[in-house]
Amino acid sequence: MNHKSEFSIEGLREYNRSGPARWIISHCFEHKPYFLVGLVGFALTYITFSGARVMFGRGAEIIINGGGAQAVVAVSLAVLILSVSDGLFSLMGSMSMVILSTRVERDSRHELYASLLGKSQTFHDQQRVGDIMARATDDVRQLNFVIHPGIMFIFDMVLGFAVPMIYIATINLELLLAPILFVITYVFVVRRYMRRLEPVMMRQRMQYGTLSARLEETISGIEIVKVAAQEIAERKKFRRNAWKFRDYFVQQGKIEAAYLPLLMYGIAFGFFFLHCLNMHGRGILSIGDIIAAAGLMQVLSFPVFISLFSISMIQLGIAGARRILELIEQRADIDENLGGYSAAVDGAIEFDNVTFKFHGSTVLEDVSFRVEPGQTVAIVGQTGSGKSTLTQLVSRTYDVDEGRVLIDGVDVRDWNLDRLRSQMGKIEQDIFLFSRSVAENIAFGVQNASQEDIEKAAREAQAHDFILSFNDGYDSEIGERGVTLSGGQRQRLALARAFLRQPRILILDDSTSAIDSATEDEIQQAMRRAQEGRTTILITHRLSQIRWADRIIVLENGRSIANGSHEDLLLSSEHYRRIFARYGAVEAPVGQLAAGGGA
Amino acid sequence: MGFIMDGLDAEDYDRQYSDWALVKRILGYFKPHLWKMTVVGAVVFLSSLMDLILPVVVSQALDQLQFTPETFDPIATSIILGVAASAGWVANMIRQWLSAEAVGDVTFDLREDAFNAVTERDMSFYDQYSTGRVVSRVLSDTQAFSETVRLSINLMSRLLLVLLLIIYLFTVNVNMTWVLMAIMPFIVYTALKFRTVARRTVTNSRRQLATVNAHIQESISGIGVAKAFRREQMIYDEFKTVNQESYEVEKINGFVFGSIFPILVTIAGVGVAAVVWFGINMAQQGILTAGEWFLFIQGMGMIWFPLTSISSFWSQFQLGLAAGERVFALIDAEAMVKQKADDAVNSLQGAIEFVNMDFHYNEGEQVLKDFSLRIKPGETLALVGHTGSGKSSIAKLINRFYEYQHGQLLIDGVDIRNFNLSSYRSKLGVVTQTPFLFDGTVMDNIRYGKPEASDDEVIEVAHQVGRGDWLVSLQEGLETQVGERGANLSMGQRQLVAIARVLLQDPAIFILDEATASVDPLTETLIQEGLDTLLGDRSSIVIAHRLSTIQHADRIIVLEQGEIIESGTHDSLMADGGHYATLYDSYFRHQSLEYIERMAG
Repeated sequence: MNHKSEFSIEGLREYNRSGPARWIISHCFEHKPYFLVGLVGFALTYITFSGARVMFGRGAEIIINGGGAQAVVAVSLAVLILSVSDGLFSLMGSMSMVILSTRVERDSRHELYASLLGKSQTFHDQQRVGDIMARATDDVRQLNFVIHPGIMFIFDMVLGFAVPMIYIATINLELLLAPILFVITYVFVVRRYMRRLEPVMMRQRMQYGTLSARLEETISGIEIVKVAAQEIAERKKFRRNAWKFRDYFVQQGKIEAAYLPLLMYGIAFGFFFLHCLNMHGRGILSIGDIIAAAGLMQVLSFPVFISLFSISMIQLGIAGARRILELIEQRADIDENLGGYSAAVDGAIEFDNVTFKFHGSTVLEDVSFRVEPGQTVAIVGQTGSGKSTLTQLVSRTYDVDEGRVLIDGVDVRDWNLDRLRSQMGKIEQDIFLFSRSVAENIAFGVQNASQEDIEKAAREAQAHDFILSFNDGYDSEIGERGVTLSGGQRQRLALARAFLRQPRILILDDSTSAIDSATEDEIQQAMRRAQEGRTTILITHRLSQIRWADRIIVLENGRSIANGSHEDLLLSSEHYRRIFARYGAVEAPVGQLAAGGGA
Repeated sequence: MGFIMDGLDAEDYDRQYSDWALVKRILGYFKPHLWKMTVVGAVVFLSSLMDLILPVVVSQALDQLQFTPETFDPIATSIILGVAASAGWVANMIRQWLSAEAVGDVTFDLREDAFNAVTERDMSFYDQYSTGRVVSRVLSDTQAFSETVRLSINLMSRLLLVLLLIIYLFTVNVNMTWVLMAIMPFIVYTALKFRTVARRTVTNSRRQLATVNAHIQESISGIGVAKAFRREQMIYDEFKTVNQESYEVEKINGFVFGSIFPILVTIAGVGVAAVVWFGINMAQQGILTAGEWFLFIQGMGMIWFPLTSISSFWSQFQLGLAAGERVFALIDAEAMVKQKADDAVNSLQGAIEFVNMDFHYNEGEQVLKDFSLRIKPGETLALVGHTGSGKSSIAKLINRFYEYQHGQLLIDGVDIRNFNLSSYRSKLGVVTQTPFLFDGTVMDNIRYGKPEASDDEVIEVAHQVGRGDWLVSLQEGLETQVGERGANLSMGQRQLVAIARVLLQDPAIFILDEATASVDPLTETLIQEGLDTLLGDRSSIVIAHRLSTIQHADRIIVLEQGEIIESGTHDSLMADGGHYATLYDSYFRHQSLEYIERMAG
């Protein structure tokens, strides 16, 4: 893969991604035998099916001109054999297409998933989960339909025209006049039709995505909708979106309604029949020939009829493929750097004139500091001052725009990403737990953790007791079908998850905010133990935690305005003094010290 | 999430509708489109008739050619063929045009009804059913339903053609028609058999697909954690397994659906051979002409395909009906919160009174028992207690999110059950610990509860919160995009936006449930100052873990297992040396400077 990726998988096939159609075809080519068997199956289907029409002509000859019992049996038997093998060949073709299509669905989902895993956090921040889901589910599904029955329909179209026309030619070459004219105009008309239909279908699909994303948002935020009494406004919004979708739906219906090839076929058949009658008048065709020819001409109606659906289906599939490709093709900004520096982390962190911009605006500006291995550094500052971002640069969730972030003196961009991240533990503000058992969640960061290890980590994080209070203890499922956890419980599980990992660098991003103080009191002991011997970056509003950090960095609007120990800062930073003053003032009469206003 | 399959799992509110009730209800949605549907019916008939003309004219032409070639006019015959085809095409176009409009409208109406029903459900409904499941009902199920309606109209026209054809064939030759129809039971039997099998494989395949989708959903939502812990390989391996399992199931499903058509083609082929055999024999006895014989052969082709359609569409038809049933169940789900009246609330003093209230979320887990509490207008009340003591429940009951089982809740002396909830709630201002923001700008979000507010109003309110310092840290100030659920903002910033949102609403009652838990101490100080002035003349209920927040309250209530065990001001409670004092020692003491210094030392 020439793209950067945070996660790569060995032996992953590469597909041609230069365009949606090529991409689908390159997927199909992975399973060539099925494609070929399908093609042969359908060719034989049309050959036998059309052959039966020719036999009808023979039958008519027998009726009109008379024939022995033997001839009657021969014709009937021929029809029987041809018709039955028609069914069997079509079964063969269909089965191979089923295998092909489900394999392509599987492989493309696989490809998409692998590529999503490789994308950086920047990418994931920018995508709506709902949107990714729509692509990974509906669009991938659509791909299956492109092949079965989509490509099958293309076979139908090509073979359904070609085979009967060859048969017609064997009756009389002149008879090809009407069918050839028809096929030529058909190709033109269908192209025009496709061009009209495609944008409408595309818009319809996009509108469905919007509708779904908005709906999901409203329902997720239903509490605030109700509290703010905005049900009416939300209904209007939904109504607007649903109506737009309805418009595209109707537009599509109208375009499909005016599907011209069906009309053209009807008229072509009239001409064809007239042509037959004319040739009969000239003594070239017998009535039996006319019956055979008419039967063969009718075979052409099947692809015409079916193309009404197949074209939509293929267009939908290609549109879906395009959306999937777009997602796959979005570049990952960060590479896993397999050949990069790989060593045990000692724990020295250095920010060297770091500037970081997000969506074009500066989040951190010229930040420099140094943390020695084993030290605890607390980052304090107002909400939005860039504290969380700073920690994300350490774990190389994002790359800096200027300056360097060094771990043990090596730029994080030169580290092997896996090696780097696997030696860090992080607890985020928004804790995400997987819908698995409690034990599996705690053991998420390590392979083959024993039950004792898990329980030990849980005890350290003060989680053991509440876990045991669940019916299934450590095996309790978390999430929709399992136990629901309070914010404090989630944080404790996340702490346990991080503890178990024994990371060299521990990042705690406001990780105790939802834990009540009594519990925190206990956790603090555990956290202090956990911090021993490892470098810890601490974002917290709890002064008790700030107080025992070795070093404190005060951020204000992305700049590091103070940096030092508690004692240093009380002397040097007015900002820092103000925070502490407020808490000192808690015991005294309220308020006046906190004044002093805007930063 | 698995939009597709969630619907297949029954929910508690699901109910069985009789087929008749279901059909009647569906027809009700088509009522406004009565004339369209009438026209559709007429053109369906017309197009079927035209479809029938084609083979009949051809067969008669062939007979004339054989027996009376001298009077036969080939040009007229061809023109009839052309005109019939054109008329059929036009009829078909009208049918599709009108039914697209009707189906589009009906789907729209159904969606709107479903959505409106969803917004009327109370919070207990949302506690129970995940967002994905509800979304699936409102969108996917209605979609499946609309596709089914379209298919049904299609199918009707095919069936009509079969009927007309058989009637006509009987007039041509009764015995041959019976030969033709002899094959029908086989086709129908196969189709029915197929239905049973298909139903099973479809369910399996959907279930499996949902598993894959759920896996993707979760890995994408938790990608940050997976990356931080570098466990991509593990979730990737898991994905590979479920994806492969889904493939196996999907393949079987594909086999079933892919085989029905060829099998029926084979059966029809046998039928055609029978028609050929019997036909030639009858013709040799002089009962049947060559043209008529050809008509019967074509008739076979025209009959088996619609019958096949019914069979291959049948399972889908059933799924569509089931989808309709699910949507109706959603619309009909009964609210737990029941209002007795619908009185508009114009202004509130802010007096809140709980009278002997019993409340539980789930049977047997009593949250409040015989609970009484009176909050005076303008009072600031702090609720203190352990997790699970019922603090948040009190707030939620005032929001009227849940139904209580016994007692009364009076707002300004009026039973809360008498209010129009929308107008009542617009007088409440609620900020929770994890506020939800909508994708859009900060400005949009602040304005959420009062869409008519001017930009200036929003700016003013935004500057009241924490003196507006927090706006400086937003990249583009009030125009900053907050992202999905506010993801671009830190939790603290989200809380600030939520506070501004509530301030703009200018409510009579404030409920702050850990509203500033993630805000840094300095910002919180500033917010508190802003709130102090605003809370001054309004009733407010404050739930907090922060000592500083609670100390300002007019009254502190200490809750334990849904009961008030103490009540008073900070000073009086501390002086009493009771539960609050104990709580203070274990909960808040360490937030005091004295404690911090001791710990550091």
